[in-house]
Amino acid sequence: MNKVCKIMAAALAVALLVLASGCGGNSLSSDRGKALVVNLAGGDCGYPTPYSHYARGPGMFKMQLIFDSLLERGEKDYIPWLAEKWDVSADGKVYTFFLRQNVKWQDGKPMTAEDVKFSFEYFILHPPLGDELTLNGKSVIEKVEVLNDHTVKITVDQPNAALLGRLGQARMIPKHIWEKVQDPQNFNGPEAVIGCGPYVLKEYNKELGAYKFEAFKEYWGPKPRVDVLQFVPVSDNILAFDKGEIDLTVISPDLLSKYQDNEEFKIQKNPPFWGYCLTFNLERRPEFQDKNMRQAFAYAVDRQELVEKVARGAAVPASAGYLPTGHIWYNPGVRQYEFNIAKAQELLKGRTPEFTLLISNSNDEVRIAELLKISCARAGIGLKIRSVDGKTRDAAAKKGEYEILLNGYGGWGGDADLLRSVYAAGANADSAFLGRGIPGYSNTQINDLGAQQIITMDREKRKALIFRLQEIIAEEVPRLPLYNTTGYIVYRPAKYDGWRYMFDHHEVTHNKLSYLAGQ
Amino acid sequence: MRKFGEYALTFFCIITLNFLLPRLIPGDPFTFLAADTDEVAITCSEEQIARYKEYYGLDKPLSSQYVQYIDNMLHGYIGYSIYYHEDVLAMIEKRAAWTVSLVTVSLGISCVLGTILGSFSAWKRNRSFDQRLYLLMISFSEIPSFLIGLFFLFIGAVCLGWFPLSGGMSPFAVFASPLPKMLDIVHHALLPVLTLVVARLGEFYLISRNSMLTVLSKDYIRTAQGKGLTKKRILFGHALRNAAIPVVTRMFLSLGHVFGGAVLVENVFRYPGVGYLMRESVMIRDYALIQGIFLFIAAAVLTMNFAADMLYQKLDPRIR
Repeated sequence: MNKVCKIMAAALAVALLVLASGCGGNSLSSDRGKALVVNLAGGDCGYPTPYSHYARGPGMFKMQLIFDSLLERGEKDYIPWLAEKWDVSADGKVYTFFLRQNVKWQDGKPMTAEDVKFSFEYFILHPPLGDELTLNGKSVIEKVEVLNDHTVKITVDQPNAALLGRLGQARMIPKHIWEKVQDPQNFNGPEAVIGCGPYVLKEYNKELGAYKFEAFKEYWGPKPRVDVLQFVPVSDNILAFDKGEIDLTVISPDLLSKYQDNEEFKIQKNPPFWGYCLTFNLERRPEFQDKNMRQAFAYAVDRQELVEKVARGAAVPASAGYLPTGHIWYNPGVRQYEFNIAKAQELLKGRTPEFTLLISNSNDEVRIAELLKISCARAGIGLKIRSVDGKTRDAAAKKGEYEILLNGYGGWGGDADLLRSVYAAGANADSAFLGRGIPGYSNTQINDLGAQQIITMDREKRKALIFRLQEIIAEEVPRLPLYNTTGYIVYRPAKYDGWRYMFDHHEVTHNKLSYLAGQ
Repeated sequence: MRKFGEYALTFFCIITLNFLLPRLIPGDPFTFLAADTDEVAITCSEEQIARYKEYYGLDKPLSSQYVQYIDNMLHGYIGYSIYYHEDVLAMIEKRAAWTVSLVTVSLGISCVLGTILGSFSAWKRNRSFDQRLYLLMISFSEIPSFLIGLFFLFIGAVCLGWFPLSGGMSPFAVFASPLPKMLDIVHHALLPVLTLVVARLGEFYLISRNSMLTVLSKDYIRTAQGKGLTKKRILFGHALRNAAIPVVTRMFLSLGHVFGGAVLVENVFRYPGVGYLMRESVMIRDYALIQGIFLFIAAAVLTMNFAADMLYQKLDPRIR
């Protein structure tokens, strides 16, 4: 037994020695006195170039800290960024961007209109991961001309109201570095992460999933408030936040009480841009061709209950018009379906259909399905639940192999052209989440309005069309949006409180403006 | 030699299965219908997907993909990860060191510790010390390793704050010399190692206890006692040598289990090893990477089993 004790004692001694030596402290090599270091939960999401970050996850946002774009996403709408002003021709085919002067690349060279032209042309040849300029397999850009040192004219193949944002979001890359690059996917040297954005990548460790960004001293724009931004590996976000290893975390509503009424913490509710939606397959189940059947379904679902029981209150019931509350063009006047069994039964007219609901095996989806089953049964609709692994569900959705599909995804805050890609027949070539639209559903009004709004360059006119579109969608319910999650974040304001939302996205940490001085 | 043939055949079956499995799972690396809350799913156009599939040979019939796969493997090329933009071999190499050291160190410790405890238990057979220890060990060996891991994480890192919560070493730390760096790595590894040790300890304890009991009932032990040798001398000088044979072989044979445990433990501690990578690669259906990792684990386990066979022959003259 003595031996065991000795071993234990030795192990303990080693542990204490390690602690005493105090290793693991982050020695900042900064010489600027007290630099503000903000730490966030890390995880490997690729080398932050427009080509090497991973397809999923927050890699794109890390890349955007380094690479600026012509416009930036503000709290209400797009705001001037590398472009001070812009002008769109009446026919919607010519965009002229007037660039800011005295912008520098992070290697000290000046950024000019040539770089802008080069970037757009390079992206046509080599579409980056977050490419938004290829529609239906072809680039929208016809030609890019440099009018003078700080004016660029871009001609596109057809008017598209969502294009300003898309052009404005393209990342600018330095010509003098990238013109030599033939295979951008495998271009991973230190030169590959030189942009003209507010942060310089100092360190990246793939295995640990750690990133270290430092403020770019010669940045043209708003002064960075955060000097050093670190993404560090954590095993559990809440534990790491409590120990002060990270300065902001997402929390589940069950833990709110832990941080409420405490000066040290600030809790914020995210905008509802992530949500669950049911899709009806009209091909497999012709019963759904009948609008009454779809509306009956809408009345038989208790969204409020789903919000309370599944999302634990951190959500809002979705709008039947699809665009969520919080979307800049949300129409509050559309028809909504309260939970009403009597109305559902009235619309069913004594029918008692049976459907199979396809879901993934995630906890939330299983809970949603169980609650749907119970409330639909009260109205006389039988639901058989088929729960499969997420990837299997995705594959089935893509092929249209389901009767009713449950799916959760983000991006509900995006450009209102969403409505076209989600509801118009055959329009979903670039729709990420919905496989192939609504099988068997086509509505001329929705198709026409969808096509019309995208070529309406006048903002107010377009908004009116989008409002109308939401009304028809709410009346038709070819898809049934269930709820949009809000989610909570908690942070220590004393450490840093500059967190801001973009108008169309729900994550403050993804927002470049969160780290910069307010304008 | 015949043994070697058996192993080669087994390995061949494994690589064939390895090839088929990911392709039989529905879903592909390009379909991201649902994105996690903090994700923005970026989609590939059909054209891009077709180009990818052509590049990786996913558009060819299975048979020619298989031929290509075997051919590549013979050339030491086990694929390129679509998602991570990196050679699979390079990715595994970078992470293998973390996992292998985690596994070997914990295996070594649990083997030695288990043997010592088992021997004592056998010596004090049926007394209260033995009975208590036996109960303790049995209970520990039945708890899944990730639960033990969570327990240690909670006690060691959260309540006491003695250990880091996660990772293999401190990110961005600048070390003046190799020693503090070593200590930092040890500091991060302590909890994961401890978890794996506790999870496997019972197994070695039971084997060595049984084996020791058999040996202690032999005549030559009684002779040794008759000669008046000390307890320690008898236990660790005479008995252990013979009792250790099954323990040593078990050590090699249990490598597979330990790898399994390491996968779970790495995910609890977010340890940058192959196990953590494996979970990620399965989540995103990265065929090439899944295959590479399974291949790596299968090769490691088979090699060890083969070594165990060889060693057993060496240690035990009766098997020839």
